[in-house]
Amino acid sequence: MVNSITILSAPLVSAVNPSSMDGIAVFISVGIFIFVFLTISFHLLHETTAALLGAVTVLLVTYIGGHYNPDLRILTFDDAMMVVDWNVIFLIMGMMILMSILDDTNVFKWLAFRLYSLAKGNAWAIAVSLILLTGITSAFLNDVTAILMLVPLSIQMAAAIGLNPMVIVIPEVLASNIGGAATLIGDPPSTIVGSHIGISFTDYLVNMAPVAIICMIALLVFNWFQYRKDYGDAKRKVSKTLTDQLASDAQISDYVTLRKALIVALLTFIGFFVADIFGQMPVGVVALSGAAFLIVWVKPDMHHMLREVNWTTLLFFIGLFIVVGGMEATGAIEWVAAQVILLAGNSLDKAAVLITWVAGISSGIVANIPFTIAALPVADYLTANIPGGTESRIIYWALILGADFGGNATYLGSAPNIVAVGLLSQAGIRLTFSRFARDGVPVTVLTLIIATIYLLIRY
Amino acid sequence: MGLILCATRGGEASYRTQQAAIALAKEQNDEIAFLYIIDLSFLNKTAAPIVVNIENELDQMGRFFLLMAKERAIEQGVEVRTITRKGIVQEEIINAVLNEGATQVVLGRPAGELSAFQTSSLQTFADEIERETKAITILV
Repeated sequence: MVNSITILSAPLVSAVNPSSMDGIAVFISVGIFIFVFLTISFHLLHETTAALLGAVTVLLVTYIGGHYNPDLRILTFDDAMMVVDWNVIFLIMGMMILMSILDDTNVFKWLAFRLYSLAKGNAWAIAVSLILLTGITSAFLNDVTAILMLVPLSIQMAAAIGLNPMVIVIPEVLASNIGGAATLIGDPPSTIVGSHIGISFTDYLVNMAPVAIICMIALLVFNWFQYRKDYGDAKRKVSKTLTDQLASDAQISDYVTLRKALIVALLTFIGFFVADIFGQMPVGVVALSGAAFLIVWVKPDMHHMLREVNWTTLLFFIGLFIVVGGMEATGAIEWVAAQVILLAGNSLDKAAVLITWVAGISSGIVANIPFTIAALPVADYLTANIPGGTESRIIYWALILGADFGGNATYLGSAPNIVAVGLLSQAGIRLTFSRFARDGVPVTVLTLIIATIYLLIRY
Repeated sequence: MGLILCATRGGEASYRTQQAAIALAKEQNDEIAFLYIIDLSFLNKTAAPIVVNIENELDQMGRFFLLMAKERAIEQGVEVRTITRKGIVQEEIINAVLNEGATQVVLGRPAGELSAFQTSSLQTFADEIERETKAITILV
């Protein structure tokens, strides 16, 4: 969308000339972005601190520097408010409220334990059911929440049957990034790109769910070849004390709240599907409405509720939008996009393949959220300037698949990976960079190949 | 009858440490206290939405690992209790030793990629425990 370009270009003309690439503002905006990008990717600062520091620097350079030298004006405060995608912010906020109330009921752990019981000690069946549950939960809640809810229990189940927890947890993490690509609300890159192009929940699902399902099947096949011996060696008999402990931790804690939360969640998802009918109502409005109705119905302690909303996440996204908005305003991103068109030779297919693999490889090395936000204006430019781009939207799909699947290559790639490493360390298991990459890289290559073929055939 | 405090988690490497503590307790006719510490510092640098009650999740996971350790000790006829604490691992081990009145502490040495501890810092930490609590610290 083109939407963001339209929004941006008008007010920014007054700040700087976007087509001018020789101003000092270009170098400053790029420098700020690189600082934020590297700081986030290599965990030198808290992600939110880095993004906020970057955003504040953009504004201070504009106002204080710009006061003495007009060439230093990057982005005014009003412009900064316009480059923030508030649909993304409200969507995340609404879903956080819904998820926190739903999580209090323990329903996902209850479901995981039911699957564990049904598997009757068969390690492969336990692994498949947990991997699929993580993938599906990631698609309909979000990837990090799925990992936080399911991995601790998965570690316990693995330990109970004498299986190295890594052989369940690593595929679960990979499944969360793949499953999250299936819906608009699953992975952050999906939410960011989907909201930016103003696509409906249904349209997104129709375009991205098929490739996510194919990749999930590929992950299960890979997993079987990789760990079939471990699954075969696991013990089938678990002591009654341990089983009772697992069962007691996986009880539904509040049936009344669960019933209310499930009804509102169901209505919210119906809302996602039908939002388009009502003047293209943004999904952020639907999520926030669902959260508001649930708060009114469940009547949680509001102070507790507000603490449950993770404000650092929201500030992180706001900061990143402003930092990237600064680069866009100075014309730096337009220059990068022009180079990509030159590389792709004005071919939509070549550009799509290029974006898929550049996004995929980059997201494995550095964090995929700042990468996606920065790559979005490039995708806008390519879509608007390569014939056929606007109709097929292939560049956006390529960016989503590249960023989502690429995040699987290393544990630096996306938030669920880092969270899972921390959870494993709490279980006394050190998941090293190379150990994660041993599974992550082949699965990333496999899923990026599938994504490339899918994009070229379908669009 | 003394008290052996064994700080543990759930990985393969922890089983070896637990077994050494159980053997020592049996030999000396001591009681064992298995300790699990919830450390949320791994969430300190991510902006990911943490809406799950992760402290509760880790508390349940810790209690599960402690139950597994307890089963092993009981099978071998050793008297055992379990403790969970929340905070920075090193600080909480020292606090637990002081609170429980432990006479000995058993810690596991790093075992390849499965260990959560670093070899270099472990001996220094063992010395610190002995200095601050007077409990004998054994690295296994």
